[in-house]
Amino acid sequence: MLIATENESKRSLGHWWSSGEPWIWLNAAAVGISITAVVGLLLLIAVKGFAHFWPADVTQISYTELTAQGPQPRVVYGEIVEEDSIVLQQYLESGGDSSVIEEGQENVTRWLIKTGNRRINPPDFRWIVENQIQNRVAPSGIAVIERLEWGNAYGKPVRLTRQNNAVVEGDGVWGALQEDFARAEEIRSQIEELEQGVLNTLNYELEGLRLDRRRAELDDRRDRIPEIDGEVANIRAEYAVEEARLRELYKVLEGQSLTLATATGSEINVPLSEILRSWQPNDMSTGTKLAHYFSSIWRFLSEDPREANTEGGIFPAIFGTVLMVLLMSLLVTPFGVIAALYLREYARQGPLVRLIRIAVNNLAGVPSIVYGVFGLGFFVYFLGGNLDQLFFAESLPAPTFGTPGLVWASLTLALLTVPVVIVSTEEGLTRIPRSLREGSLALGATKAETLFKVVLPMASPSILTGVILAVARAAGEVAPLMLVGVVKLAPTLPLDGNFPYLHLERKFMHLGFHIYDVGFQSPNVEAARPLVYATALLLVIIIVVLNLTAITLRGRLERRYRGVES
Amino acid sequence: MNTKAPEELDSQTTAADTISISVKDLSLYYGEKQALDSISMDIPAKRATAFIGPSGCGKSTLLRCFNRMNDLIDSVRTTGTIELEGTDIHDQRVDAAQLRRRVGMVFQRPNPFPKSIYENVAYGMRIQEKMQKSEMDERVEWALRSAALWDEVKDRLKDSALGLSGGQQQRLVIARAVAIRPSVLLLDEPASALDPISTLKIEELIEQLKDEYTIVIVTHNMQQAARVSDHTAFLYLGELIEFDKTDDIFKNPQRKRTEDYITGRYG
Repeated sequence: MLIATENESKRSLGHWWSSGEPWIWLNAAAVGISITAVVGLLLLIAVKGFAHFWPADVTQISYTELTAQGPQPRVVYGEIVEEDSIVLQQYLESGGDSSVIEEGQENVTRWLIKTGNRRINPPDFRWIVENQIQNRVAPSGIAVIERLEWGNAYGKPVRLTRQNNAVVEGDGVWGALQEDFARAEEIRSQIEELEQGVLNTLNYELEGLRLDRRRAELDDRRDRIPEIDGEVANIRAEYAVEEARLRELYKVLEGQSLTLATATGSEINVPLSEILRSWQPNDMSTGTKLAHYFSSIWRFLSEDPREANTEGGIFPAIFGTVLMVLLMSLLVTPFGVIAALYLREYARQGPLVRLIRIAVNNLAGVPSIVYGVFGLGFFVYFLGGNLDQLFFAESLPAPTFGTPGLVWASLTLALLTVPVVIVSTEEGLTRIPRSLREGSLALGATKAETLFKVVLPMASPSILTGVILAVARAAGEVAPLMLVGVVKLAPTLPLDGNFPYLHLERKFMHLGFHIYDVGFQSPNVEAARPLVYATALLLVIIIVVLNLTAITLRGRLERRYRGVES
Repeated sequence: MNTKAPEELDSQTTAADTISISVKDLSLYYGEKQALDSISMDIPAKRATAFIGPSGCGKSTLLRCFNRMNDLIDSVRTTGTIELEGTDIHDQRVDAAQLRRRVGMVFQRPNPFPKSIYENVAYGMRIQEKMQKSEMDERVEWALRSAALWDEVKDRLKDSALGLSGGQQQRLVIARAVAIRPSVLLLDEPASALDPISTLKIEELIEQLKDEYTIVIVTHNMQQAARVSDHTAFLYLGELIEFDKTDDIFKNPQRKRTEDYITGRYG
């Protein structure tokens, strides 16, 4: 009896196993875990990244700090950035004050406070343990001033020095500040226009003329030099005029400043020309906070970075990433397609072609940094160096193309991704039915005409699949770029108003490298951390957008050719 | 009268017919394997000639020799000559693409390009010559009318050809071949993938087209051969067994093998 039931249960377990049900569960679990991991990751970076832009309340915190002279009372203004719980032992071992701990307490709650005012009261981020805090309020009237340098300033506005040393004090300060600020913004935008526009162009022309002069010397055409010198003098004169205008504009802003009182009562003076933005979070309604939030995000997306990339926006990095990926696609697509066409359509299928195919597949597995080294050695030093010798001799020893730059980065990544394009194009070519090729040939088309009019259009969805994979890989690649063109901070965009508009030789910024730089090379870790998350999210979004565009295009092409591949 | 052995078939066609394709002593090898063995025949112009025979007998291979479609297969080697209207098509000076413009071909399965109906018909013309839009429109209409398809598709010329039914697709492919005004049309089992009604339409079409074109049709269906063709060739294992007027082949075959095949004893 007992034995029989055991046998039976064994049989049913065996039956359950052979029914395949465990596999279904295993597969479902694998898919579930993958989806959870991806969604969790995206949520984490989205929350961590975008919480940063919310105008948090500024609290006034009074607490005691244990110093060498014993406990000292402190008071600061600041935004609570993070809340965290640590075990008591850890707190005590890191030199915490044991006198504030209650009996039986096992964990200590601590807050990370962004206190700003880095210059007079460093550091600008500090951990404060809940037990040390006597008092925590969010008084109205505290202003946050985003400065051009030194990060945020927190304090109560007490005095505004306006033009001609007129002074406003008391309640009117904030209103007057907004007025003056609007005016200052206008002047600042004029200054920017001058600097980025006319002065930039004149500088560019001067540099061009300097090179012309040098070329004339090299070519032994000294007769041209006086003419060039004349032009230089003209531009210099023009430059001086514009520079005088610039100085005038700067002078208008001079002397105007806002004075803030910090929590301890000391005063900070912020020149008006240094103020980027000002707000009083404790007095803002949810609506204005939302508006502020979105304008912060917009600034992050559209502005240049400041302060070693820990403040400001990431526009040049977005621009650089997208431009580099587009250039890469432009280079890799024709190259990969032509290679695949040759391998599949023209080359005699034999051991050699098989060997080449294996080599191409293996090329896809070479670590990307190896491509970076190759790009630096071959493209930058060899190709670029020779280009400089041939065409840009006048600017030597300063290299033009013989130094890492946009075109070399795009080329290196194109080389890195070309196997993907070749493989998927070849796959697409083999899938096109023989009957269609014969149909075209039977109508008197040559092989080339058949390829271009029938075969290639039909293989275009597969080609695009290859490009999608290439873009996905290239946009996320950082290691080789560090060797062939990406920099921490590029002074100019590779695309501007100066002829020839697209400057392939320039260095550029890249989101992937930006994440690395901000996250690990930053002098101000706490300030940089939310930017790492926000930048990471943006990189993911950009790759998704690039991919979705290509996928939509592919879908459209596939619909057109549906029903043929049978 | 028309009861000659295959060796003497050269002079077999009636005097009134001009000869379109003249095959002399044609043998074809796939690598080592011989697929056609010393075939000689004269295919009359503006008539329909049917090739019949069991699967693998070389009908399609022979057909594909006429527009040098076999050139596409690396291992194929031929001996003997094929003359199209007096020109040897294997002559060095003959360009395969040029030849194929004069010898159109329709395949077993309809193979329209994944383009619009209009573009399918215009495809051959666009490759061949520069043409005014109006002239092109006229020619497309003419070709579609020739293939008895115009009335069915005239309102949707810009739609994809893949949206047509199998029979319509096959007539479109015929229109596409007709549009470049070839002198010969090769049809390789044009109705084998179609339903009976579509088959009937194709057969009617062949009936009309043979006034203008030399038609060579490969078919498995003997009734079809009997219905549409003027002459019939019976091939067996790469050899031409018998070639004669269709009526004679079906009513009065000279060879035992032909008779056996026609009466259904094998094949």
